[in-house]
Amino acid sequence: MRSSSLLTGVLRGYTALLFVFVFAPIAFSVIFSFNSARFPTIPLESFTLHWYETIWADPDVWQALRNSVVVSLCTSVLATALGFATAYTDYRYNFRFKSAYLALVLLPPTIPLIIMALAMLAWFSKIGASGELWSIIIAHTVLAAPFAMAITRLRLNQMDKDLESAAWNLGASEWRAMREVIIPFCKPAIISAAFLTAAVSFDEFAIAWFVSGLNKTVPVLILEIVQGNIDPQVNAIGTFVFLVSITLVIAAQVFFSIRQSKVSL
Amino acid sequence: MSTPLVSMEGVDKHFGTFVAVKNINLTIDEGEFIAIMGTSGCGKTTTLRMLAGLEQPTAGTIRIAGKLMNDVRPHQRDTPMVWQSLALFPFLNARENVEFGLKMRNQPADIRRKKAMEWLDRLGVVEFAERNIETLSGGQKQRVALARSLVTEPQLLLLDEPLSALDAHLVIRMQSVLTKLQRELGITFVYVTHSQSEAFAMADRVIIMSNGEIAQTGLPRDIYREPANRFVAEFVGRNNIITGEVAGVSGKKIEISSPIGRFKLNADATVPAVGDTVTFVIAADLVEVTRAKPKADNVVDCSLISEEFIGSMVTLFLETADGTEFKVQLQERELATLDHNSGSLFYLSWKAESAHLLPAETNK
Amino acid sequence: MAQVGHIDDGSLSPRRLDPYALTWRLPIIAWQVLFFVGPLLFMVAMSFFLVKNYVMQETFVFDNWAKMFSRNYFRDSYVYTLFLATLSTFVVSVLAFPASFALAFKVSDSTWRWALFLLIIPFFTSYLVRIFSWYVILAESGVINAMLSIIGLGPYTMLNTMFGTIVGYMTLTLPLVVVLQTFSLANIDRNLVQAAHNLGCSPWRTVYTVIVPLAKTGLIVAALFCFILSFGDFVSPYYLGGSKPPTLPILIIDTTKSGQQWPRAAVVAVVMMATLITIAFAAITLAYRKRTSR
Repeated sequence: MRSSSLLTGVLRGYTALLFVFVFAPIAFSVIFSFNSARFPTIPLESFTLHWYETIWADPDVWQALRNSVVVSLCTSVLATALGFATAYTDYRYNFRFKSAYLALVLLPPTIPLIIMALAMLAWFSKIGASGELWSIIIAHTVLAAPFAMAITRLRLNQMDKDLESAAWNLGASEWRAMREVIIPFCKPAIISAAFLTAAVSFDEFAIAWFVSGLNKTVPVLILEIVQGNIDPQVNAIGTFVFLVSITLVIAAQVFFSIRQSKVSL
Repeated sequence: MSTPLVSMEGVDKHFGTFVAVKNINLTIDEGEFIAIMGTSGCGKTTTLRMLAGLEQPTAGTIRIAGKLMNDVRPHQRDTPMVWQSLALFPFLNARENVEFGLKMRNQPADIRRKKAMEWLDRLGVVEFAERNIETLSGGQKQRVALARSLVTEPQLLLLDEPLSALDAHLVIRMQSVLTKLQRELGITFVYVTHSQSEAFAMADRVIIMSNGEIAQTGLPRDIYREPANRFVAEFVGRNNIITGEVAGVSGKKIEISSPIGRFKLNADATVPAVGDTVTFVIAADLVEVTRAKPKADNVVDCSLISEEFIGSMVTLFLETADGTEFKVQLQERELATLDHNSGSLFYLSWKAESAHLLPAETNK
Repeated sequence: MAQVGHIDDGSLSPRRLDPYALTWRLPIIAWQVLFFVGPLLFMVAMSFFLVKNYVMQETFVFDNWAKMFSRNYFRDSYVYTLFLATLSTFVVSVLAFPASFALAFKVSDSTWRWALFLLIIPFFTSYLVRIFSWYVILAESGVINAMLSIIGLGPYTMLNTMFGTIVGYMTLTLPLVVVLQTFSLANIDRNLVQAAHNLGCSPWRTVYTVIVPLAKTGLIVAALFCFILSFGDFVSPYYLGGSKPPTLPILIIDTTKSGQQWPRAAVVAVVMMATLITIAFAAITLAYRKRTSR
């Protein structure tokens, strides 16, 4: 019995260490962003807001941020809408080639980003659409829609199978039932999907780097700064990026869990 | 008044290769309370869903109030349904759920609200009008679901096992709520259930389905006393079924010889010929039990296997020497008059009029 | 069986072109064909194009394939990338397993929910910035060496080594692998584990003979995801591994960005895709094999 509880203790300690490993880079990035050393290490030097002031004053950062916000918002709307439509189709209909249909939708995240990036770059220059902000939006939508689809599909799984029929039965046309029943029921999932797809887009750098041309997003800017040399202002931008994406992912998860706690049978 | 409210003619429904319903012919009059009963998979729910337009018949015609309904989509009908799962909208409160049908008919908000509150009141749940659906009890949800279906004042209400999720004591309460409502409103109820007690307690007419077909349609009493075939006799469950060979016929009176004895009974319509194999049933509550061998026709000697008490009723399970089983239903006080301490041998007997001859089975 | 009717096979709308159904079905098909299948197919086609005077010509020649396959650096790069991804898959799977085991069997449900919540966050959070942070932490004068020097060790070179690359891959894949492993472990029938204990199986033997085989499918799927992510990642081998020799993703970037040789980059990408499809197919076959015979 004692050896078993010892084992449990060791396993838990190990798991805690694993979490330390996962979150250490995030923590150090935040700490160093307030540290005056040019090359961040320990012991820490003095507290400073210098790096934040530097990026605040940098017009490139502002431009990149504007680009990122536009791309994330548009991607979020498009990917959530497409993901919803696909989840509903999967929930409601059976048709020939449905598995091919689902594969077509769900495969993009399993393909290495660098390959997607090259393919997108080539394709967009072929159709004369490269280097535009909306080429990033299109590519990010392909990447993010499967996540929106998965979240919405999970929600639809929890819906009483008779709910839509009940709406028709009470006089709602299919369109009306969609508006009055399906969408309200899926609302938490839709919001969650919107946050998560925004996070996917906000953090993506490979495709954005390849197809963005001069319209850099924040991660692309970071990539280019990092390619030069060690510059602690990356920690400041990075901390900001962490803040945004962690907020988005947490928001997505909170709506996801509201959904789950509302489950009733 | 001559056209029935609902008529189904030669209706089939296939799902791929699976035949869910075949050759349903049925008419339902205005104001009738019809129960469709059968085991799971017998096609009763599919039949109901076809009336609601949620399934389209593969063949045949469905008419409601004389109008051909085959291609009318669900939302263009006025056939509200009470669902087994209730299917209340979880993101709306009780009142908003009731208002839903009116909203879909584009009624103004104040009228919707007034009617919804009236119906919630009528069903005794008006105090929960603004409550979240999830916070209501099973019985309260049931009433809200009924109000939601009735608020548009339909001619026809479809009910799909609406009481199956409720506790036993609530079922009895809701049964009386439903029968009372149906009488007051004078609208037609089509009630699908697998429960005999629900069907027999509420319905004017019962339809028994088996394997997608109608096995028998009739008054509850007729189905009990005069099952149309072996399936119904077994399904109703309180019947003793005996098969034998016709040994003699004189007018309507026939005599049957079987491994457990010779029995007399009266044929009602078609009289079988000598030598025919026939099956007849005797309802369990029409069998007499005695200790002494009675001087009568139709006697079987049995030994007692077990007894089952439900309230003041007792069902005795008995067996003849060759293993044929018998069921006898009697009041508990009748049981007390039988001497318990003289072994397990009993004599069963019944009047010739009590036995019901099943028509010769055409299929199988 | 009355439920049969509830499966909506579209029987309500026998019209072949139901506008409602198509409204929900078609947009994603159009989108993915135009912006997912289209680009990938075009990339395959591009691997047969020629570049002359910095202009791409839409031809059908095997020059790029012949050139790439005759280069030693391509073969080295391929072998090295395959090796790194395989190493990463083993290291991550092995390091993740005790934690997944603990999360599946040794913690309360609410702890697991919190752990899941925390593990999902990094998966969607700025991988690039986290790698830069590792760059700083692992540097010659970085946090780890500074700490080690306190106890008189080091400094160790961790950047521009395979160790650095693997740390980067772990940053990318560890949270996902733990989540997938834990799900597959948590699905094991606890009674079987208990039965093994009761039959006198030691904890270690129980893990090897009962738990791992039962969770096999999930463990392999987790490993497959780890392989795909490591194989396709360019950030870790570039910034933490020093890009010596370059992995295939780095080769794609170099060829595309500096040389304008998109068709040759396409050859690399197509080879990567073919490799991944083969490995995914093999892994899935392995994951679902023997299930019927057992």
